[in-house]
Amino acid sequence: MQGSTRKMGIMTDVHRRFLQLLMTHGVLEEQDVKRLQKHCYQVHDRNATVEKLEDFINNINSVLESLYIEIKKGVTEDDGRPIYALVNLATTSVSKMATDFAENELDLFRKALELIIDSETGFASSTNILNLVDQLKGKKMRKKEAEQVLQKFAQNKWLIEKEGEFTLHGRAILEMEQYIRETYPDSVKICNICHSLLIQGQSCETCGIKMHLPCVAKYFQSNSEPRCPHCNDYWPHEIPEVFDPEKEREAGISKSNRKSLRSRQH
Amino acid sequence: MLQKPRSRGRSSAQAEKDRDGSRDKDARAPRGGVADEAPSTSRGPGGSQEALGTSSQGARRAQAAPTVGPRTQKQLELKVAELVQFLLIKDQRKIPIKRTDILKHVIGDYKDIFPDLLKLASERLQYVFGYKLVELEPKSNTYILINTLEPVEEDAEVRGDQGTPTTGLLMIVLGLIFMKGNTIKETEVWDFLRRLGVYPTKKHLIFGDPKKLITEDFVRQRYLEYRRIPHTDPVDYEFQWGPRTNLETSKMKVLKFVAKVHNQDPKDWPAQYCEALADEEKRARPESSGPAPSS
Repeated sequence: MQGSTRKMGIMTDVHRRFLQLLMTHGVLEEQDVKRLQKHCYQVHDRNATVEKLEDFINNINSVLESLYIEIKKGVTEDDGRPIYALVNLATTSVSKMATDFAENELDLFRKALELIIDSETGFASSTNILNLVDQLKGKKMRKKEAEQVLQKFAQNKWLIEKEGEFTLHGRAILEMEQYIRETYPDSVKICNICHSLLIQGQSCETCGIKMHLPCVAKYFQSNSEPRCPHCNDYWPHEIPEVFDPEKEREAGISKSNRKSLRSRQH
Repeated sequence: MLQKPRSRGRSSAQAEKDRDGSRDKDARAPRGGVADEAPSTSRGPGGSQEALGTSSQGARRAQAAPTVGPRTQKQLELKVAELVQFLLIKDQRKIPIKRTDILKHVIGDYKDIFPDLLKLASERLQYVFGYKLVELEPKSNTYILINTLEPVEEDAEVRGDQGTPTTGLLMIVLGLIFMKGNTIKETEVWDFLRRLGVYPTKKHLIFGDPKKLITEDFVRQRYLEYRRIPHTDPVDYEFQWGPRTNLETSKMKVLKFVAKVHNQDPKDWPAQYCEALADEEKRARPESSGPAPSS
């Protein structure tokens, strides 16, 4: 594990409530994480200053280290939103996904994962996934049932569905990046900028390097003549918009007032 | 975690070779990835969670020593970590955790130190998460986690699931049972719930399938006991509080809920208030403050 250079932090009820509630989400966007943090301070330590989120989380992670889990921060591949999830650092016999799904369902996920990784776009069509239903381990599954299982994966934020095609949710990438890189070392794609696992992104048509959409946005920010960082050829794709936390906050204030009235059910 | 398709624990030598090979290709270290030392624990083949197998996310080490013999600090640490995770996940679905399942799926060859592992796991659960591991009933060898943090109304706005039903259908049923003298017939329950627009045969906007919730889910989660009343025609059942209810809440709390709903004071029901007081006294006495996990 990371060396003992990290001083072990202290848990208080603020941190405990935060952890408990964070665990009820598979994955959570940063602004909701901040809301959650603020809520926990309100309940237990009203007058204290809310610690900077990064430090707050680092503190908790230093305690979680001995349990081989951590609160990991990532970024959504399609629009660059920061997200957080509690992930396993060691493969043990216990994992969230394995305890929620049956053997054949896990195998279906594995098949979908392979198709997604092998694809050019990072998306696998529902049809292609369902065609593999006969090859699944465990109890026999019909296509109709498999369709519902795929929906279950989407609801639980392991997959994202877009127009009949499936890709990996940020949650799955956070949880499984290490596993994916080791299991599929030949077909896995890596972002040229951040060097992390890449499922969705843009590629240079000349030399083939790939970049995440948020990485593209940041790298080519206010650059009128974007060029491939590797081969210097003209970058042929539209540069996407960067996720801006400031703009989101203003929009978010009115959004969260409405959100808290809706019941949060999954 | 998914299991790597090729490497099962048996062929760990081969698996090691594969892993090392792939690691060299990936010379640029993954961001936020686990350092090289992510270990795995030894696992017998018997577990039903075979989907995960024994492959690890980056261990260079082969499996830990199979039987007795000194175990390293790291192995023990990892075992406790596994146990903590297992208990958390099982409890999240409100299924009481059987000792046999713990032994089968997590402890494995560490059976000889099971009590110590359980104690360590229990301490971590308390310190890190604020959960107390308790036995559902004395000598039942099943466990649940009790939240030592009081749930707060605003929690509902920031959580990702429905949480323990502190308000809502379960609370209403618990209240009904208590106010009716700790036992109530199913027919009486539905007579009452009908007045709130909740029917056994009709899908409910919030509760979904109320009949299933009350007679199956809450029973399985041990909030309620559901017994057939003999010699009834048509068959009728009776409800009582289940063991989890007594651990997670109390007669006084439920009475206060009922009072609040009626906009009255708990003392307006003197019989129930006395009973609730007696219950509070019993809880305050040290012997009855929740048994530690017994070995």
